[in-house]
Amino acid sequence: MSLRFTRRIAALAALAALAASPARADAAAELFVGKMLDEANAIFQSEDRAARDKGVERLVDKYVDMNRVALFALGQYARQITDDQKSAYLPLFRRYSTTVYQDALADYSGQRLIVTGSVDRSAKDIVVASKIEGAKPGDKFAELIVSWRVYRGEAGWMSVVDAGADGIWLAVEQQSQFKSVIADNGGGTKGIDALIAELKAKVGN
Amino acid sequence: MRGWIISAPIAFAAALSSAFAQSGDASAIAPTASEAPVDPAATDETASELAASVEETDATGIHDPLEGFNRAMFKTNNAIDAVLLVPAAKTYRFVTNEPMRQGLRNFLSNAQMPTNLLNDLLQAEFERAGETTARFLINSTLGIGGLIDVAAKWGIAPHSEDFGQTLAVWGIGSGPYLYLPLFGPSSVRDGTGRIVDIATDPLFWISTDPAQYARYARFGATAVSFREPYLEQVEDIKEKSLDPYASFRSYYTQSRKRQIANGREDYEDLPEMGDELDEIE
Repeated sequence: MSLRFTRRIAALAALAALAASPARADAAAELFVGKMLDEANAIFQSEDRAARDKGVERLVDKYVDMNRVALFALGQYARQITDDQKSAYLPLFRRYSTTVYQDALADYSGQRLIVTGSVDRSAKDIVVASKIEGAKPGDKFAELIVSWRVYRGEAGWMSVVDAGADGIWLAVEQQSQFKSVIADNGGGTKGIDALIAELKAKVGN
Repeated sequence: MRGWIISAPIAFAAALSSAFAQSGDASAIAPTASEAPVDPAATDETASELAASVEETDATGIHDPLEGFNRAMFKTNNAIDAVLLVPAAKTYRFVTNEPMRQGLRNFLSNAQMPTNLLNDLLQAEFERAGETTARFLINSTLGIGGLIDVAAKWGIAPHSEDFGQTLAVWGIGSGPYLYLPLFGPSSVRDGTGRIVDIATDPLFWISTDPAQYARYARFGATAVSFREPYLEQVEDIKEKSLDPYASFRSYYTQSRKRQIANGREDYEDLPEMGDELDEIE
């Protein structure tokens, strides 16, 4: 085998490794989530559920693009929603989803989450990973990864659009529910009306 | 008559284990479970054949042509859960403390070692097979028969393997989602895997009376022990969700996917939340 041939193989291998390596990290998105977690961590220190819920709501309003999540949760039906339905649905979704976040984060009392890295799905779509700070091997949450899906809009403006724990994503699960409710009620705008009615019943309006 | 005496406890134990299956997986074992294939190229073919025959798999990887049957089973299992498992789990919680419960979960997980090891090997995951073996040796001795997870404290984290995961790694698509009577969320592939798991458990092949009792005891203990930590969560999901059936289906599908990938996060096949929504917004 000639040296040149070996070299070529090495170069190809290096190229393949480059191509196969996960997408690059995104420092700005990591900073964005880090800032959010700093605020969240302050909230997590409180044992008082009411205070925590209030804090989470404030954070959700500040960092989460609720309208985007709301439309995503409709799946293919997002293209069929009327303007009237939209103006009823969006605020209901915000209230509903906020309580879902409040419940999901209820377990982290006294814990702190820190950013551990990120992966670009595209320049606009970044997943930032976080872990419990200082978790020792064998601890309850030692292996837990909490992921934050960050969307970068026009002019670099960032927002969180989904949160996942150990590979289970909230918005993905919400879409599953909502599509099922819409489909079971005849689909289309009729199904969306049914969904809005059920959401109203859930958030007590 | 003897047949009935034998099958009744099995049915009872299986009923108990169902709600556990519903609630995902045990924290003592690796966080649970899923459905979508690891190697999309290898599994697409099977999946698309099935999909073409019935209906499309949706963007989140759920394919549920048997929804009518599944929903009926979901209802049945929930009724069994409410009558048998929840009261049993609450009583269990009342008479024990958390270190005791963690001990039992550790013990039961440790007893799963043969299934884990077999499937580590079938998937050619030799490093993980080594971890499984090391965990078993350490925990069975220093961990007092498996009650204390010493290995995890030493940095050898637990993981769980089953034959459904092995089939997935071998390139078999999940097939339709399947909600099994008594066993809970599954798929055609994972349900098949479950049968193999039962048959490859050493205890299954010993037919003495003590072995029978040990089997029933383990079924019952597993069901209650792994249902107990999820009492509040399952209640919460049922209360919050507009469609608990769809929620549990999604949790199972998502977590099973991650379990098959041996805990590695796969962000590639997340559904799009970008451009298409820009147009609507």
